[in-house]
Amino acid sequence: MSRVETPTSQRGGVGQWALAWRRFKKNRAAIAGLIIVGFFAFLAAFDRLIAPYPPNCVPTPFSPFCTGQYAPLHAPSFAHPFGTDSNSYDVYSQVIYGCRAAFYIGFGATAVAMIVSVLIGLAAGYFGGTTDNLLMRLTEVFLVLPFFLILLLFLKVLYYFSNTGAGGLEIEILIIGLFSWPGNARILRSEVLRVRGLEFIGASRQIGASASRILFRHILPNVLHVLIVLTTLQIAASVLIEAGVSFLGFGDQSVATWGLEFYYGFNYISDAWWVEAFPGIFLTLLVMGFNLLGNGLRDALDPRLRE
Amino acid sequence: MSEKLLSVEGLRTYFYTYAGVVKAVDGVTLDVRKGETLGLVGESGSGKSVTAQSIIRVVPTPGKTVEGTIEFEGRNLLKLTESEMQHIRGKEIAYIPQDPTTTLDPVYSVGDQLTEVITRHQPVSKQFARSKAVELLRSVGIADPEIRVNQYPHELSGGTKQRIAIARALSCEPTLILADEPTTALDVTIQAQILELLKELKQKFNVAMVLITHDMGIVADTCDRVTVLYAGQVCETGTTEQVFENPKHPYTEALLSSVPSLALRKDKLSVIPGTVPNLIHPPSGCRFHPRCSYARQICVDKDPELESIGDGRLVHCHRWRELELTSAVAS
Repeated sequence: MSRVETPTSQRGGVGQWALAWRRFKKNRAAIAGLIIVGFFAFLAAFDRLIAPYPPNCVPTPFSPFCTGQYAPLHAPSFAHPFGTDSNSYDVYSQVIYGCRAAFYIGFGATAVAMIVSVLIGLAAGYFGGTTDNLLMRLTEVFLVLPFFLILLLFLKVLYYFSNTGAGGLEIEILIIGLFSWPGNARILRSEVLRVRGLEFIGASRQIGASASRILFRHILPNVLHVLIVLTTLQIAASVLIEAGVSFLGFGDQSVATWGLEFYYGFNYISDAWWVEAFPGIFLTLLVMGFNLLGNGLRDALDPRLRE
Repeated sequence: MSEKLLSVEGLRTYFYTYAGVVKAVDGVTLDVRKGETLGLVGESGSGKSVTAQSIIRVVPTPGKTVEGTIEFEGRNLLKLTESEMQHIRGKEIAYIPQDPTTTLDPVYSVGDQLTEVITRHQPVSKQFARSKAVELLRSVGIADPEIRVNQYPHELSGGTKQRIAIARALSCEPTLILADEPTTALDVTIQAQILELLKELKQKFNVAMVLITHDMGIVADTCDRVTVLYAGQVCETGTTEQVFENPKHPYTEALLSSVPSLALRKDKLSVIPGTVPNLIHPPSGCRFHPRCSYARQICVDKDPELESIGDGRLVHCHRWRELELTSAVAS
């Protein structure tokens, strides 16, 4: 043995995140999730370069690649790998544009939900007492409201003002976000309660740290692992909700989304399976990718699941 | 005698629980002089830790200090605002917690945790604080401080973590350190090292210390004076010699005789019968009377005064004049 391996303790400074990444790398399902999400992120970023036709567009003989096959409900062919839908839209192009819409709604709604749930969860868990009581009762009120109906109602009203439902995506982001925080806030609150009882929080009070410093510098980083996992799962859930809304025909018809393709193809499902199948495969894959990623992150970050 | 640094008088801290009001600290009086070490002794649940937490006002909810004065360098700490207190905690009065394994934040490196305290209380740059952190680690006897400063708590042993907790307590050169059983969570060989370190640092920095412990051996070894607590009240106070040679309170005598000793191989270790009383409904009169072998009717009926008996000693017993208590120093 000519070479002596330096033990980890001698190199110094292996933080929790580095350790979590090591555990994450060993988890094949998690890596698969990361690759799937990465692939969709790539499609979403370069959709205009990848898709042969513009969004929501009936191909004309002047379009590039056009072979004259722009009939509605055309089966998959060389010109239209995923076929065409009842509007003669190229399903392949629509599905590629749907990636961007999915990321837009997923990240947008999740950002709103997570900001609210972090503020409420931290405040309720840390201050306790009456603050906690009030915030948790508010959370319960939001949990019992039939939020899907409220969302459909808002979108229906929107159709009176614009006949394509343009702006619906933003309304969906806001409403999904404003109604998805309660579960997350509860989980965060319970994590904050656990961390608040740990001695190093007491120790930071003893060294003269202020309440805001303790909250944001000591408690938040220690519940971050939970927040990250909840965020990935919330993204997947938001994408699914959007698909449901669009499938029911309440969605924003000015933007190509997977749910909208379901809506267009539903009446012709026995003749044209491709209009439903391809967006369905993409939606399933992306949601599965985010779930695998979320589970992998949870396994890598949860201190209780460590070997 | 040098001047008083901290004087606590009639301190009462109660916990308002669903089961009732727990009188964890009920009339504690003690003082600490500049540069001395005061031992705060008592069984589990006698209010030692709560007394220390009350001094820097970090009593966990639902606890509340309801009465008393805490005079520290001429200021009554109970009258200060929370933000004024934040400038005293960690800077003038430092606290060494009991369990070193959980007192460091797992997400920050050792260096970050030390620089946090330094930059919080002193107007110095991050780089300067970092170099000071390395220096502090060296002064608490940590080998390779340049490497340790970048490590995270989970990479360190319990003894090293306690040394870091001590380094953090010393980082702003406080005048008083409250050490809450700093060695109980460590194994015996490390305990001795940590106690040696504390003694050495006390000399070097001339800092006063309140050492909370239930180990009379540690008191004999490190403390100048002792305050014995029982059920949230002071039993007696005196210099270590006075208390060990001439205990005035039956509880002190019982505590001293229950210390295991290698020299005296008794067949049976003497124990104090009974347990610490329920602090929601404490016993009438003197709180120690149900367990005291010298108790009389007066002890059941009336709570004794905390009397000053000269030489700076305080005793909280009706019968201290008449009793002939056994000294801990073998005759």
